[in-house]
Amino acid sequence: MTMPDGILCSKTHEWILEEGNNAVIGLTPYAVEQLGDIVFIELPEIGSDFSKEEAFATIESVKAASEIYMPVGGKVVEVNDKLTNSPELLNEDAFDNWLVKIECNDFSQDSQGLLEYSDYLDEVE
Amino acid sequence: MEAIEEETKKTPLYSEHLKLGAKMTPFGGWDMPVQYEGIIKEHNATRNYAGLFDVSHMGEFYIKGKDSLEFLQSVLPQNLENLTRGQAIYCQLPNQKGGLVDDLIVYFAKGIIEDIDYLIVVNASRIKEDFDFMTSQAQNFDVEVINKSDDFSMLALQGPNSKYIIEKMGIEQNIQPKFFHFINTKLDNTPVFLTRSGYTGEDGFEIIFENKYASDLWNKILSYKEYKVSPVGLGARDTLRLEAGLPLYGHELNEETTPLESSLGYFIPKDKIHNYNGKEVILAQKLHQMPLRRKLFAFIMQDRQIARNGYEVYIEGKKAGVVTSGAPSPTLGKNIGFCMVDFNNLDGGTIQKLNNPQESIGMIIQIMVRNKLYNAEIVKKPFVHKNYIK
Repeated sequence: MTMPDGILCSKTHEWILEEGNNAVIGLTPYAVEQLGDIVFIELPEIGSDFSKEEAFATIESVKAASEIYMPVGGKVVEVNDKLTNSPELLNEDAFDNWLVKIECNDFSQDSQGLLEYSDYLDEVE
Repeated sequence: MEAIEEETKKTPLYSEHLKLGAKMTPFGGWDMPVQYEGIIKEHNATRNYAGLFDVSHMGEFYIKGKDSLEFLQSVLPQNLENLTRGQAIYCQLPNQKGGLVDDLIVYFAKGIIEDIDYLIVVNASRIKEDFDFMTSQAQNFDVEVINKSDDFSMLALQGPNSKYIIEKMGIEQNIQPKFFHFINTKLDNTPVFLTRSGYTGEDGFEIIFENKYASDLWNKILSYKEYKVSPVGLGARDTLRLEAGLPLYGHELNEETTPLESSLGYFIPKDKIHNYNGKEVILAQKLHQMPLRRKLFAFIMQDRQIARNGYEVYIEGKKAGVVTSGAPSPTLGKNIGFCMVDFNNLDGGTIQKLNNPQESIGMIIQIMVRNKLYNAEIVKKPFVHKNYIK
């Protein structure tokens, strides 16, 4: 598992990597570790709009269902379909197995308050 | 003002769980391991080899006195008259309305445990309620109800390899207790009550002993690596019992719901002469002389959505109850659960169908998952064949 350079994290355990006007969003390895065996992932439809901190996906472990929140606002342009059929991949590599790619509304504005990965790790550990 | 949070209790094995890297969770007032290596792995280890569970949170009561049998006959729907020494029976503890204070296992211990007549094992979350209730009911009898819960620890060793491990510890297979029986014995040199029972649907044992032996016994059993024994947490305990179709107090059972409504009619005798609390309702429902107000059903989801405790159930477009337990079944690869269907809102024809197993099995109901309805099929419990050795 390699951490992509330059990711930011939310306190609700999503990571985001800016790529030009778009961004890739995933769940942090810490969150995945806390959830345990992941058995189901419901991803949004392409084209749907979400504002910052809005729930956009659901991840279910054996024990419970958890909502996943947008670290920044935007429109979904791609979803990682591989995860729908093989949700357990997330347990193997939480960086490689991203959830969605979005077209950001205003990354520089919305990303204020997100944490550098090292600061995020300090928060959770 | 915020409620004062009660401190959670710890079993004598707390530090062993931490050493094994367990994730801990509060359960029934206790800080318990929810998983070690992962729920699915632990679930499969129990089904295929052996799983070791710390169930020291569970309660133990001693019953002794001249009226022990008569007292238990007055509080339990089951008939204990023909129980043989060393035999156990699964019972419910009803209140006056026929709802359940708890469900429990009664062991006829006379001549097996010194000085007592019965040993009762109860749910951790209900120890106080059970003790208060039984004590209040015992007033007119020459009987003592003694709460031994703080003195004893309990392990469950479950799965097909369990019998080999117990054999290695000195109890050969031909003298191991039979299903729902127990013996007072020594495992290696540790004095234990060894029972053939469990909460997983697999063959296995429950082992009750004094707290001071807990760490040694736990580590000794885990040392039998040749039998692939794994520590198992409450997460897999829940998926295992759910697959086996076994109810959990607070989910499938509660103070308002009768044993018949919780689909435990099989355990209720028609011919018990003694009066017991709630008998009018329980027996009338058993004899179909009084309608059920609700009924517990087992279901399998028809797609990949997982039903969870509290999700709403719909039948023929009408809201008709809630899911009481739901989880993915690692053995079936499907999502399973129990739901309590409330008959209040349903028409006579539907209720009739639900009351007739020939018509209800296979019926399609709907479960609301995140504001959308998904189909589920009512099935016969258990979900997975039980591998008890009887």
